Amino acid sequence: MNCIHTTNLSHRFSKKELVLDQVNLQVPEGAIYGFIGPNGAGKTTTLKLILGLLKKQQGTIEVFDKQFDKHRVEILKNIGSLIEVPSLYGHLTAKENLKIWQKIYQCPKSRIDEVLEIVGLSETGKKKAGKFSLGMKQRLSIATTLLHSPKLIILDEPTNGLDPNGIIEIRELLKKLNTEQNITIVISSHLLAEIEKIVTHIGVINYGKILFQGTLEELHLKQSQTSFISFETSDKEKTIEVMKSNNLTPTISNEQILIPSIDKKLIAKINSQLVVQNIDVYQINTINNDLESIFIDLTKK
Amino acid sequence: MKFIHSVQSEWYKTKRSAASWLCIVGGFFIPIIYFIAFLKNQNSINDYDSKINIWDNLFMQLWSNMGTFILPMGLILASSLLTQMEFKNNTWKQLHTTPQSYTNIFFAKFSVLLLMTLKFFIFFNIGMILTGLLPCLIFDHQLPKEAIPIKNFAMGNLKIFVASMPLLALQYLLSLKFKNFLVPVGIGLMGLIGTLIGIQWKYIFISPYSYAPLLFMKGVSKINIFLYAGIPFILIMTISYFLYIAKKEKG
Repeated sequence: MNCIHTTNLSHRFSKKELVLDQVNLQVPEGAIYGFIGPNGAGKTTTLKLILGLLKKQQGTIEVFDKQFDKHRVEILKNIGSLIEVPSLYGHLTAKENLKIWQKIYQCPKSRIDEVLEIVGLSETGKKKAGKFSLGMKQRLSIATTLLHSPKLIILDEPTNGLDPNGIIEIRELLKKLNTEQNITIVISSHLLAEIEKIVTHIGVINYGKILFQGTLEELHLKQSQTSFISFETSDKEKTIEVMKSNNLTPTISNEQILIPSIDKKLIAKINSQLVVQNIDVYQINTINNDLESIFIDLTKK
Repeated sequence: MKFIHSVQSEWYKTKRSAASWLCIVGGFFIPIIYFIAFLKNQNSINDYDSKINIWDNLFMQLWSNMGTFILPMGLILASSLLTQMEFKNNTWKQLHTTPQSYTNIFFAKFSVLLLMTLKFFIFFNIGMILTGLLPCLIFDHQLPKEAIPIKNFAMGNLKIFVASMPLLALQYLLSLKFKNFLVPVGIGLMGLIGTLIGIQWKYIFISPYSYAPLLFMKGVSKINIFLYAGIPFILIMTISYFLYIAKKEKG
C-alpha cells in the first residue's frame, strides 16, 4: 500500500513558471523515502501540496488511500511535518511549545515528556525556544512532528544548517523511528550523500519532473549499469577492433578505451586476445559511478 | 477537532507574548495616571462635585480618555501582534498542517483576540475601581458613600466592547493579509487619526474606527451601538473569512 500517491501533480506560480510537471510520487508504507533534487527543483512545492499548504491546481493527491481534498482533517491527524525552517514560538519553552500542539491533537500530556526524551531535550527547563541553537530547534521541531504518534512524517531538509554530529543524530533518530515504530518517513534533501545511508526508496526531482523513482537497490542497479571498464594499451586501434569483435561498443576518453561494465570472464578473454596480438596491456580499471555522480548526471539533463 | 481545543491552543500561545503584556500595561495605564493625579492633589473621588453617581463620573472620565485613542490604538497593536506571532516564528505552516478546519483556525484566533480585549477591559475596570478606592483609604480613610453601579459599569463596558468590534475585525483582516507588522499598524493608525479628524462628518460611521469615539461624543446611552457596530462587524468578518479561506498559500 502506498502512503502517499500523487497523480500528474502539476503546479504553476505564474503562467510562465511551471514548478511541477506531472509529478507521480509513490511513497510505500513503512519506507524511508528520500526526496532529492537541487535547490529549486520542486521538492518543497510538492511537499507543501501534499500537506495542503498550497492550493492544488492540477492532478490528484492521495494519502493513506484517501483523497486529500476531501479528507484533509482526517489525514492530517496521522501526519507530522516539518517544512523548511523550524516552526517554534520563540517566547515559550520547549514544553510550552509542545503543549500548544498537545491541546489541538488531544494526545496524552505524558507524550510531551516522552518526545522530549526521544529528541534529547528533556533538560532544557525554562530556556525559551528562541534561545535554542539551530540543532536544538530542529530537534524540538521533530519532537512536534512525533507528539501525536503519526503514521507518516514529512521532513523537508531537516538537517539544513546542522553540524555533522547533528546530522548523524537526526539520521539515527529517523532510522530508529522507522524500524521501531514503523513510521513512514519522507525526507527531502539536496544532498544525496546525506540521506542515502538511511533511505529505502528514492525519488529524484529536477525542474519539477521526477527523473527517477524506486528502491535504493534499483538505484544501485542503475549505478552498476552506468559503470565502465577502462583499458590502457599500446595500440588503441587494434584494441578497439578486438572489442568490436566481441560485440562491444568502445569509446575513447583521456587516452583510455572505455566499454560498459561486463562480466569478468569477458574481461579476461579480451585481455588474452590483446596479448595474443602482441598488444601491451598497461592497465584495466573499473570505473564505478557513485550515487552522487548518478544524481548529478540525472539532474544535469 | 473541537473548536474549544483550538481556542485553548491559541490562548496558550499568548502566554508571555507582547500582546499579552500590552493588555496589562494598556489596561492599567489611564487608571494609574488618574491615581497619580489623585495622590498629587491629595484628593479622591469623594471630592467630585457630581450630579451623577461619582463612580459613573469616574467611569465616564476614564473611558473618555481611554476610548477615543488609547483603546483603538491598543487594539490595533494587539491584533497585529497576535498574527505577527505566527509570521515571526514561521508557524503558519505548522498551524495549517494540524487537523483543524480552516474555519476553526480563523475563528479560534479571532476569539482569542476578543478574549484579550476582554482581559484588557477587566484590567482597566480593576484599575478604575482601585483608583476610586485607594486614594479614599490613603487620605480620609473613608470609602465612597455611593455603591459601585455594577449594572451601569457592565452595560457601559459591553457597549464599548461592541463598538470596538468593527475595528478589531478590520485590523484582524489586515494583519492576516500582511506579513509586515508595519502595514496593518500603519493603516490602522492612519485610519484612526483620519477618523478623529473627520469625526464631525455626518457619514463618519462608514469608518470602522469611528464607533468608540462616537460613543463618547454622543453619549454611551444615546446610540444603539449593537446595531450601529454590529452590521459593519459582520460584513468585515465575512470578507476577512473568505479572503483567508481563498488564500492560495497557507504557510
